[in-house]
Amino acid sequence: MAIGSASNPGLGRASDAFPSLVLVQGQEQRSLVLDHSPFSIGRKVDKDLVIADPRVSRDHALIMCEVDGFYVADQGSKHGTFVNGERVERQKLERNDRLEFGVRDAAYVIFHPVGVASSTAREFLSQISGMQISTDTTDLEKLTMFLDAARKLNTTGVLDEILVTVADTTLKLTRAERAYVFLKVDDGSLRLAAGRNSRGEALIDDTTISHSILDEALHSASEFLVTDTSQSLDLAGRQSIVAYDLRTVICIPLRKPQVQSARPKTVHTVSSEGLGAEIIGALYLDSRFASRDISSVSNDILRAIATEAAQLVENARLVQAEEAARVYQRELAIASSIQQRLMEVHIPEVPFARMSGRNLSCKEIGGDFFDAVSTEDHFAIFLADVCGKGVSAALLASTLQGMVYSHLVARMPLAEIVAAVNRFFTQKHLGEKYATMVIARISRDGELEYVNCGHLPPLVVSQQKVVRPEAGNLPVGLLADATYESARLKLHRGDRLLLVTDGVTEAENARGDFYENERLEDIARRATSLEEIFAALADFCGGTPLNDDCTIVELVYTG
Amino acid sequence: MALKMESKTVGGVTVVRCIGRIVFGDEASALRSTLKNILSTSKKILLDLSEVSYIDSGGLGTLVGVYSSARAAGADIKLTGLGQRVRDVLQITKLVTVFEVYDSEQKALAAFH
Repeated sequence: MAIGSASNPGLGRASDAFPSLVLVQGQEQRSLVLDHSPFSIGRKVDKDLVIADPRVSRDHALIMCEVDGFYVADQGSKHGTFVNGERVERQKLERNDRLEFGVRDAAYVIFHPVGVASSTAREFLSQISGMQISTDTTDLEKLTMFLDAARKLNTTGVLDEILVTVADTTLKLTRAERAYVFLKVDDGSLRLAAGRNSRGEALIDDTTISHSILDEALHSASEFLVTDTSQSLDLAGRQSIVAYDLRTVICIPLRKPQVQSARPKTVHTVSSEGLGAEIIGALYLDSRFASRDISSVSNDILRAIATEAAQLVENARLVQAEEAARVYQRELAIASSIQQRLMEVHIPEVPFARMSGRNLSCKEIGGDFFDAVSTEDHFAIFLADVCGKGVSAALLASTLQGMVYSHLVARMPLAEIVAAVNRFFTQKHLGEKYATMVIARISRDGELEYVNCGHLPPLVVSQQKVVRPEAGNLPVGLLADATYESARLKLHRGDRLLLVTDGVTEAENARGDFYENERLEDIARRATSLEEIFAALADFCGGTPLNDDCTIVELVYTG
Repeated sequence: MALKMESKTVGGVTVVRCIGRIVFGDEASALRSTLKNILSTSKKILLDLSEVSYIDSGGLGTLVGVYSSARAAGADIKLTGLGQRVRDVLQITKLVTVFEVYDSEQKALAAFH
């Protein structure tokens, strides 16, 4: 089993936090991630999961994330929602549940199948907390203390507490005077993480320990290093040993546990694999001349400590990392819901025009978005496609949207708006991040001004004819010295302006053909609603999933 | 990775032939680092894109990024061999007005002199 790096194990798998859906349609399977709630299912093209079958209702069902898990809720569908064959109104989902929406033979959905992805940290924990320690040596029975601590891990999960427990327990087992736990930090050095003396007091100063012996232990291949300073003359001169009257020093390097490896049975047979393992920290014990002699502590105990303490420390780190990942995940979910709300479009009502827009996102958060602004005598729409996907695209999209929106409200000339946006993005050096966009602003009398920045030319549908005005500029955010010009058109009552992203023209069918401009223009000429266009697009693609977001915004001049 | 690059020198111009797809990720990174390397020794680069089947928005960003930093460093990059898809993308984004594009390697090479 793979475990993350020692510095932040588990974090790299953060995306596993979202459950998955697998849509099975005939011979085909498709995975979807439940990364937002509610997740909609239906025949309508704007659903998160579109099932194009007449027996599926337009708004069929929702999958919602609630405090105690995921629920499916039927939205009054005609043919019903089924979980494992039973018709349900609302039902909590368990892993591997089979969901069917109206159409019971052609397609079904498996909720979060087992074996696809899982939380490594939690699985790892459950695996090792069940581990038994051999009791054939009586000394080792004492190590049940460690096991108790290990069990507590699942409830406490606080690294510091665990380290103090390790120090205390080790002191009890070895009868040493002082115990220190060191953990390796990012730069590779060891940092004191916990210190205790035999009276149960915290020690926060590590200047009185022998760092030279600590280093030696870390660089040796041994499981532990016991140093009796009275026996070795060359040590007697070392500063800390002289100054603090140290007699015995025990150093135990803590190595990253090998999940599969069994503890060695005898003193000399040590698996080379175990010793080559990454050092995650060290346990340091010492006692002074004046007090007890700990040099005779049984090797079995020290070896057991080395293994168990490393196990504990690693577990604690995993729990901590998992918690950090959970916090991160929560933050990301909040960010994602804010993003979705920012991107929600509230279409203003004006007497001379109306608009509608549809976005079909293919997978994760995409880079397409549109919005609309009305001012006294004008109505403006804009559509942008930010390059890239995911969080970085979402951030850029939000900023872009905010700038364009506020400039439109301030009735700034369109060419100035995009020039300002371009200046902003190129000055910030966003590393090859840019956007293509179209802004169009229509006045009461049908005068349309638009600025196209590297976007597909708009479609102007007038009297069953489609025109593609070619006037265009560079995308925004690519070149600092780009200049922008807007163009003008006159719309007549009933004329329509369509803005589309290239996800539409580049949608592919199973043969690898693109939808292309010709098909788009043809359907735009005939269609009376965006839904018709999306339905034609879905027909063309068949079952072939989209590579890119598809967005179409339509503005109708009603006069 | 779906992008290969081969380079040769013709009369002081480094001709880089790209074969495959220029898309966001490894391909775009490879293009960026290869051109950066070449730029350290050559100030005249001709990119032959005749065997580039596809370029996505990320790849386009990289191409422009490399182009502008080369220009800023006093180097000259020209393009040749634009297939239909690449030409369409450059046309729609109007980047065709930014790059110096030539129909053939000969014409492009002549333009360097």
